[in-house]
Amino acid sequence: MTNSMTLPNLARLTLGGLLLAGGSGLSSCVSVAAYQKVYLNDEDMKLSNKRIEVYETNFQSYREGAGGANGGKVGGGCGCN
Amino acid sequence: MPAPSSLIKPLYMPHTSSPFVLRGAAALLLALLPALAWAQATPTPNRIDGYGTPNTTAPSPPNPSNHGETEVNILTSYYSQDGNRGAVEGGIGTQQLTDLTPTIILNVPLDSVTRLSANLGMDYYSSASTDRIDQVNSSPSSSDTRIHLDLGLARQLADKRTIVGVGAGFSAEYDYLSFNVSGSWARASADGNRELSVAGQVFLDQVTVIRPVELRNTPDPTGGTTRQSYNLNIVYSQVLSQRLQVAVSTELVAQRGLLSTPFHRVYFRETGSGYGTAKTELLPRQRLKYPVGLRLNYYATDLVQLRGYYRFYNDNFGITAHTFELEAPVKVTPFFVLYPFYRYHTQTAADYFAPYLAHSVTNEYYTSDYDLADFSANKFGLGLRYSPVYGISRFKTPFKGRVAKFKALDIRYAYYRQSTGLTANLISADLSFTLP
Repeated sequence: MTNSMTLPNLARLTLGGLLLAGGSGLSSCVSVAAYQKVYLNDEDMKLSNKRIEVYETNFQSYREGAGGANGGKVGGGCGCN
Repeated sequence: MPAPSSLIKPLYMPHTSSPFVLRGAAALLLALLPALAWAQATPTPNRIDGYGTPNTTAPSPPNPSNHGETEVNILTSYYSQDGNRGAVEGGIGTQQLTDLTPTIILNVPLDSVTRLSANLGMDYYSSASTDRIDQVNSSPSSSDTRIHLDLGLARQLADKRTIVGVGAGFSAEYDYLSFNVSGSWARASADGNRELSVAGQVFLDQVTVIRPVELRNTPDPTGGTTRQSYNLNIVYSQVLSQRLQVAVSTELVAQRGLLSTPFHRVYFRETGSGYGTAKTELLPRQRLKYPVGLRLNYYATDLVQLRGYYRFYNDNFGITAHTFELEAPVKVTPFFVLYPFYRYHTQTAADYFAPYLAHSVTNEYYTSDYDLADFSANKFGLGLRYSPVYGISRFKTPFKGRVAKFKALDIRYAYYRQSTGLTANLISADLSFTLP
């Protein structure tokens, strides 16, 4: 049991920083042509979880109250213990 | 332990005995079949079943034809956890659990723009804590099998930049039945540097109420035994440079119905710790979740890439959470990749959580489920992927003698530890095959 008197402030700061960084990145992004996407098309650059990660995502969604945001404990499985 | 059928029957329309009604229902089902066959649309490519894991990031490029090959993935995992904060015994019981999960995923091109997918799998799990519902060590409820099936259809539209999809599925186990339907839409920009995807899912669940043995003579909880969940997943992805891309996502969730687990006990400080003084967990019947995620992928060098993820989470149960993840794939050779990873998660407690004997009988809602407690968690591990360009091996199949290719092998181990004392080990494998 930890935590977290300063979490709300920390959350706002971190999220704000990340969104600012992302936002500035978006505004300064360059147009990348299809033939220039050799790095971006790499298997490990996909903007999604790997399929094999799904089991970890599942157990985290059960073991963490803040898990998943994927409907929570619906569908059963190992979430009821 | 056979399911008390009276609790599940309503889902099977037990009173529609008239032939006319039956024919009507059959016609309706046939009419709905195309829609029911439409799950796993592009935005959630890694979902294993309906209750599982909507993606937090952008979909793959909108090209569902994928060279016309049928893809078959065999996934499996072995999960084991232990701890001593089990909710079944009011926050002090064992949390021992093992789970074995074989799954088959089929991805079949129907034509150059349409793909059909099917996920079929099962969980075989054994849980020491569930066993304590009856306070004995050998009750049949200590193990169970869950099966799940999801079907989906994704179609690329004529503009070549838009994909739409629909799907449906179900999951069934001894005390839980869940149905889901989903729909999705994804569109890429003309230059392929931006993409927006929107996916919605509805889950309709039926819970069989099983209460702790000493509470079975008290009246059933009011308000019904169903649960509905509505998920909305929005992802915007953007290429930032030749080596950097980002995705911002949100997954809004609204849940209604029975959100408590009926066999979780809660002990109150005024009544002591003896059996018979517990109550079954009680939580509000509505929950709203608002998470926001940010993913950044950077191609640092030909040897190493960096995959970073941060998620901020908030809900109306009072939980606030932060999750950081970092993965660094290392290309040992062009076809052999090692990827160490680390994840940190921290959350505050739900307003309704208190440990064993810490609740008051005057509390309106109460739970001693440590999933809803405040804690931090660390997870780290290592994965490896072997995917030679011409595949690992080939073999003849019974299907007209066609030759299948064993394309790639992915293995991953993760160790997870919470500050509550819960530990877990998970090993998973993904075997990819293609069939021309």
